[in-house]
Amino acid sequence: MPDIRVEHLSKSLSGTRVLDDVSFTVKDKEFVTLLGPSGCGKTTTLLSIAGLQTPDEGLIACGDETFVDLGAGVDIAAERRNLGIVFQSYAIWPHMTVAQNVAFPLRVRKVRGRAVTARVREVLALVELSEQAGRYPHQLSGGQQQRVALARAIVYSPSVLLLDEPFSNLDAKLRERARDWLKGLQHALGLTTVFVTHDQTEALSMSDRILVMNDGRILREGTPEEVYRQPRGRFVAEFLGQCNFLAGAVSAGPDGDAVLRTPEFGDGIVVPEHHAGPIGTIAVRPEDIEISQPGARGGGPAGTVLDASYLGDHYQYRVAVGTVQLSVRSQRPLAQGPVRVRIPPGVATFVE
Amino acid sequence: MTSMIERPPEVTAPVAARPRARWLPASAGQALVWFAVVALVVGPFFPLVYSSLRSKPIYLPGGTFTLQAYRTLFADPLFWRAVRNTVSFAVGTTVLAVACGTALAILCGRTNLPGRKAYGRLLIAPILIPPLGLIVGWLAIYGQGGYLTQAVSRNLHLPVWNLSSIPGMSLLGAVITIPIVYLAVQAALTGTDSSLEDAARSAGAGPWRVITRVTVPMLRPAILNCTVLIFALCLEILGIPLFLGTPSNIDFYASYLYRSWSTGATPDPSFVSAGAVLLLVAVSGLLIIRARLSGSEQRFIVTSALGGGTYRPLNLGRWRWPSCIALGAFIGITSVIPLLGLVLMSCVKVLTTLEVPWHLFTADNWHLVATDPTLRRSITNSLLIAGGGGAATVLLVAAATLIAHRSGFPLRRTLAPALIYPRAVPGVILGIGFFWTYLMFAPGALVRNNLWGELIALCVRNLTLAYVVIYPSLARINAEFDRAARSSGAGWWTAARRILLPILRPALVAAFVLMFITLLGDYDPVVFLQKPGTEVLGVTMLQTWQRGIVGPVAALAVVQVIIVAVVLLLGSRVLRRLRRA
Repeated sequence: MPDIRVEHLSKSLSGTRVLDDVSFTVKDKEFVTLLGPSGCGKTTTLLSIAGLQTPDEGLIACGDETFVDLGAGVDIAAERRNLGIVFQSYAIWPHMTVAQNVAFPLRVRKVRGRAVTARVREVLALVELSEQAGRYPHQLSGGQQQRVALARAIVYSPSVLLLDEPFSNLDAKLRERARDWLKGLQHALGLTTVFVTHDQTEALSMSDRILVMNDGRILREGTPEEVYRQPRGRFVAEFLGQCNFLAGAVSAGPDGDAVLRTPEFGDGIVVPEHHAGPIGTIAVRPEDIEISQPGARGGGPAGTVLDASYLGDHYQYRVAVGTVQLSVRSQRPLAQGPVRVRIPPGVATFVE
Repeated sequence: MTSMIERPPEVTAPVAARPRARWLPASAGQALVWFAVVALVVGPFFPLVYSSLRSKPIYLPGGTFTLQAYRTLFADPLFWRAVRNTVSFAVGTTVLAVACGTALAILCGRTNLPGRKAYGRLLIAPILIPPLGLIVGWLAIYGQGGYLTQAVSRNLHLPVWNLSSIPGMSLLGAVITIPIVYLAVQAALTGTDSSLEDAARSAGAGPWRVITRVTVPMLRPAILNCTVLIFALCLEILGIPLFLGTPSNIDFYASYLYRSWSTGATPDPSFVSAGAVLLLVAVSGLLIIRARLSGSEQRFIVTSALGGGTYRPLNLGRWRWPSCIALGAFIGITSVIPLLGLVLMSCVKVLTTLEVPWHLFTADNWHLVATDPTLRRSITNSLLIAGGGGAATVLLVAAATLIAHRSGFPLRRTLAPALIYPRAVPGVILGIGFFWTYLMFAPGALVRNNLWGELIALCVRNLTLAYVVIYPSLARINAEFDRAARSSGAGWWTAARRILLPILRPALVAAFVLMFITLLGDYDPVVFLQKPGTEVLGVTMLQTWQRGIVGPVAALAVVQVIIVAVVLLLGSRVLRRLRRA
């Protein structure tokens, strides 16, 4: 299966720029997620790949076939791009049975007779819906509808699978299972996949690579771990979970590390990155900050627990250190009052 | 479900070739539909304006551009009298219809009136009764020689009303247009949150105060909107002055044009075209005002998180039963009695109070309808137009609606206004326009002298109705349905044919039923087109009535009502089955 190349994609809708010079590549068999808040341009990007929206400028190619190249006047119709797509609403046609829905892409490709029945049976078995072949969409549960949509998208072995928030209509429990199942299927079939979501957990758990988008631009690109650990920008850091930001003076430390000092953290916070310039801002995840009883050894500066909430598998604290407030996540129960706060070396990262 | 992860890939080889490029782009077919709609809708207006500016009819050689037609029109005192009559009639009808329609909608929609649901249904029934049938029924009962008129004047020696006066005609006009107001106001009432009224009641306001201070002001946009609409409708009304105005020599705008056309010394006088152009300008102006009014409705749209709210009816108190009886009497007097009168009139030699009806019983009227070739032909012709024309129109409009709202066709935005315009234009104007179109353009000769010409005029005039039924249903269909079809490899037309049209099936059936009923009863676009051999029900009734033969007209009206009832019954059964499936 081929790579997808997207180059310099731009689009404006009634004066606002919904896509601003978007470029990325999806490698063969890779699972790439476009992650961002609503209105960030992720769905527009996906629909542009599918041919259901036309960008103002840019190039989209799949393998050696150019889908859109507005400079060269190429714009292949959606029906000739041979892609599979699963929509947020699933868009299962209500007047057709499950089997008819899945057979439709084969029929428009002039496949006839037994070849259709055989292939439909095969794909329905793959998505575990063999029993429901004769049912109508309104007789199915949400999870089953999602799998019908998926079966319809992969029945003709498309080169690429596009997923537009396919889990947003499922309840939380089912969503988790569907996620694992879809990832497994994608891996087993080796489908090159572009996945659009606003849910960071989905993005982190399923993707080979994540592209974080906002305001029509790609802000950060990398593996889930890279994007989470080194967001490089405030927006990305905050979009992927909670984050504390600390600004201060930067100096060079031993071994090429950088050390950030603030009035509160006078001993400095060791950041294992190179940083140019005398001042900087770091991002620290709440779960990376250590807090301990005031008497404990090796604690950092003194702080005060302002409030605590119990969230089952951990506690969430709001801790004041000097003039800054930090949010801290810990397994340990602590009473309100004085504590020691420590940011261990290596957990912080510079952001712009 | 999770067992999937361990399962090896079973199938990865391509099973089908990718869809081929079509030899004809989808836009070619879209352009064809676009052209058909625009040509049919806009086409007739050019010959109309052109002919009003020529010194001689188009079919005669020579002729120059001149404003003579307009001068002739303005010099005619009868024209000015018709204008005055029309305006007084329109004002009277509009005031009556809007006041009664609003009151009835509030009564049935917001109070605890007994039987309000059944009344609500009965009140909109006149929309489905063919308009000429209602007019003939009214004449049979309340006209100058009508049954009740006679009963009151001759048997009770009381002073009587005159239905053939302008107030009398306004009354009938209001009865015909009340359902339009009722529907519009009722829709507005359902759309507004009744918790606003509950809030006023909690603040201590009584039911009457709630209605006058909260409910009615909230309805202002809807009321204004249908005031303008009904005024515009009154300007073009033809049946009422022809049936009711003739005895007392009262002409309205449309009947003045019709009479000048059919009795003029010169055939096809161009001042009739001039009159039609002026009416077109007036009505278009009113509709522009109406569009403006609708635009300022925004501030009346109530923002509410839940919307609707639970509805608790206002208590009418001791007025409950008197209102119920009055409403029943209203429906009886305006619809039920005239319909009974229609049936009675079709079965007697003459409808009079001097003799009991069963002494005057005759089957002659019905015999005539069954044997007279003209009357029979008008029934079969009307059925042909309603059935064939209705089906063809629904298909064309369905395709045009899909192109207008679900395609990338470059000119798609022009389609929606083109689909709405024909119904906004007075029927007589469209009729004159088509008359000249068929004369001016060579292909017109193919349809001029047969039923096709009338079929086209009637269908174009009413295609708006198909659009207003189909479009809301289409808007409710998620756009991802057709996107999914396109991504599956279907071209635009395949997606339309295999996905969208099948999902739209209930709307298509409803549109066909509405088209059928309307085409069966409509006549004003074809009064200028009918020729011997191409009679349709409405025009035949009009012409037979004008010759003073009333019994068979009543019989034809009864036939019309029966056909409509049967089609409605069948249509609702089909719809119910489709919705269940």
